[in-house]
Amino acid sequence: MTFSRRTFLKGTAGLAGSTALASAMGGVAFAQDKRIRHFWWGNPERDKRTFAVIEIFNGKNPGIAVEGETVGFNDYFTKLTTQIAGGNMPDVIQNGYGNMLEYVDKGTLKPLDEAVAAGKIDTSKIDPSGIAAGTFRGKFYGLTIGANSMATLYNTRLFEEAGIDTDPILWTYDDIKTIALKIGEKGGPKGTDDLTADWGGFGVYCGQRGFLNQFTEAGELAFGADILVDYWNLWKDMRDAGATPSAEDSAAIAGMADLDKMGIVTGKSAISYAWSNQIVGTQALTQDKLGAGMRPHLKDGKPGQSIQPSQFICLSRDSTDDDAALAYMNAFVNDPDMTAVLGLERGIPQQSDVRAALEPKLSEIEAVSVAYFDAIQAHVAPLAPPAPAGVRELEEAFEQRSAVAVLLGQMSIEDAAQQWLDEAAAILQRAK
Amino acid sequence: MNKFIRRNLAGYTFLLPWLIGFFALAVGPIVSSLYLSFTDYDAVAAPSWIGLENYEFMVKDRRFWKALSVTFSFVVISVPAKLVFALAVAMILDRGVRAIGWYRALFYLPSILGGSIAVAVLWRQLFENDGLVNTLLGVVGVDGPNWLSDPRYSLTTLIVLAVWQFGSPMLIFLAGLRAIPQELYEAAEIDAAGKFRRFFAITLPLLAPVIFFNLVLQMIEAFKSFSGAFVISGGKGAPLDSLLFFTVYLYNEAFSYFRMGYASALAWVLLLIIAVFTAVAFWTSKYWVHYENERS
Repeated sequence: MTFSRRTFLKGTAGLAGSTALASAMGGVAFAQDKRIRHFWWGNPERDKRTFAVIEIFNGKNPGIAVEGETVGFNDYFTKLTTQIAGGNMPDVIQNGYGNMLEYVDKGTLKPLDEAVAAGKIDTSKIDPSGIAAGTFRGKFYGLTIGANSMATLYNTRLFEEAGIDTDPILWTYDDIKTIALKIGEKGGPKGTDDLTADWGGFGVYCGQRGFLNQFTEAGELAFGADILVDYWNLWKDMRDAGATPSAEDSAAIAGMADLDKMGIVTGKSAISYAWSNQIVGTQALTQDKLGAGMRPHLKDGKPGQSIQPSQFICLSRDSTDDDAALAYMNAFVNDPDMTAVLGLERGIPQQSDVRAALEPKLSEIEAVSVAYFDAIQAHVAPLAPPAPAGVRELEEAFEQRSAVAVLLGQMSIEDAAQQWLDEAAAILQRAK
Repeated sequence: MNKFIRRNLAGYTFLLPWLIGFFALAVGPIVSSLYLSFTDYDAVAAPSWIGLENYEFMVKDRRFWKALSVTFSFVVISVPAKLVFALAVAMILDRGVRAIGWYRALFYLPSILGGSIAVAVLWRQLFENDGLVNTLLGVVGVDGPNWLSDPRYSLTTLIVLAVWQFGSPMLIFLAGLRAIPQELYEAAEIDAAGKFRRFFAITLPLLAPVIFFNLVLQMIEAFKSFSGAFVISGGKGAPLDSLLFFTVYLYNEAFSYFRMGYASALAWVLLLIIAVFTAVAFWTSKYWVHYENERS
């Protein structure tokens, strides 16, 4: 693993003379390289692009040998936990906004403020909102790789056939129900996926009901059972009206993040719910052209959807050579050759110059996601403060247990809501 | 003493690789997990001693009880079912089937693959909503349920997977059947004993030691069963915790939620449960297992 094909080729290149230093020292380049490990969760497309970027960086920086490590999202944090316990975290790791606070509080990341002050990391091109989002407990930890927001994906062919022209940026839950039923009448698939078991969708709903921050200062739940009961009733109403696939089908995919399980990909529905940086990936799995809209609004409600960093790259506690790692991180967000390869895959780049360089080369679906991003700016809520530790467990309890119990009719909505609230309180208490 | 060391030094030297492995890879972790079970340890900060708190927490932990009940259901149903099935197949093969070697190998195959992830993945695909099983049922006009995502059927599907891996008890049964003297059957036949009579009066009692051996091994294995439930339930015991095997719960507490102390305590409780069940099996064996070289 340490003697990968890449490092070997690089060493050969060094001997060939591209690195005068290595030849002058008479040594073998790869033996003296500063090894930097970069660990991310990904998908085949992301992995391909990231390995290409690493190759570019290694080519430009003869003294440093970056090595990539990747697994799927579901295994990522398990592997990271094991590495944290073993004291051998990779130098550079990927993290998401929702989990950051937990990792900051556990002391697994190094703050980047000094590196920024010393000019080792150039953040001048990054939107201030991106910097703010990467700042936790007053220190800057997360270098944002792109901006992201939730999205509603719809099948444009089915929409056209049903003659639907509702504005997808401003539509409401009622609109979604009307559209869904219309599409169903045409004999097509059911109209919309069921969001009963979607923690993210519930988060948006909380924002619309005035609980943009779902947690109090003390790290407890800010909302009561009534909000959750209303949310589940809203989707029950859609389900009972025949706007969604069967409750059993929805329960079967509860808590699964895989794009290929979404109704819009399996053909079970015409509307699915995902993230804006998944638009391109989902299009790759479908025949019909996709359109992108916001998550449905609540009539007379507040904005509930926010823009947030899609992912951060972070410097880990166990980094062996901070300077080399920082040089890599800096290049990852600022080097035009590298950002050109990364494109929009991790989200909309938050550096003005990177965005400008990418724009003329966008594919059709990439243009859809950029246009979507521009369109939502005026309709989003500010970013809620980061969630307290234990939120991942809350999400699992919500999606895989309480919501599934509701879908399968094993519990009444009121009982399931109360049970989840009790469980959530216990989880948050334990995670403190 | 000196003489003792001199006499055995060579032996222990040869044992050294095993001894090092045993102490470093087995005894060490076991002892440290016992210590960790009395601590609050999140794998990052140093463990802090909390006495019996982890064990006390279990008593009111709803998912702990759920995990126990799922595991017990699995053990209680899958072990006898697997043993009955294994014995039935062994008896068929014992009747001098041609090319028996092939059949033995064939029936043993699922057990070799058994612990592997591949079989669990295969099982998931077979029983998925649009999987082969439901497609075949559809051909005969039956609308099959969601075997894996409906909590009413998920555990049964996993039990069937366990029973299907009947190869190793079957081989042992086959060896046991071969060891039963034929003249007993001949004598019984002369006395006009029917098939059932011969089975209950000769086969079963003489096979008791083998049944006991298989029972204990399979029970321990069933309690520890992990990979099938882990893969089929998406790692979380879904749907609705119906596949929350004790080991899956333990794994999640440790590696999803960073609660290494609690997970260690769970591991010791599982060890204790297995020990008690094995002890009970040994104790009852006095009453139903008879060895040929014993006078009873």
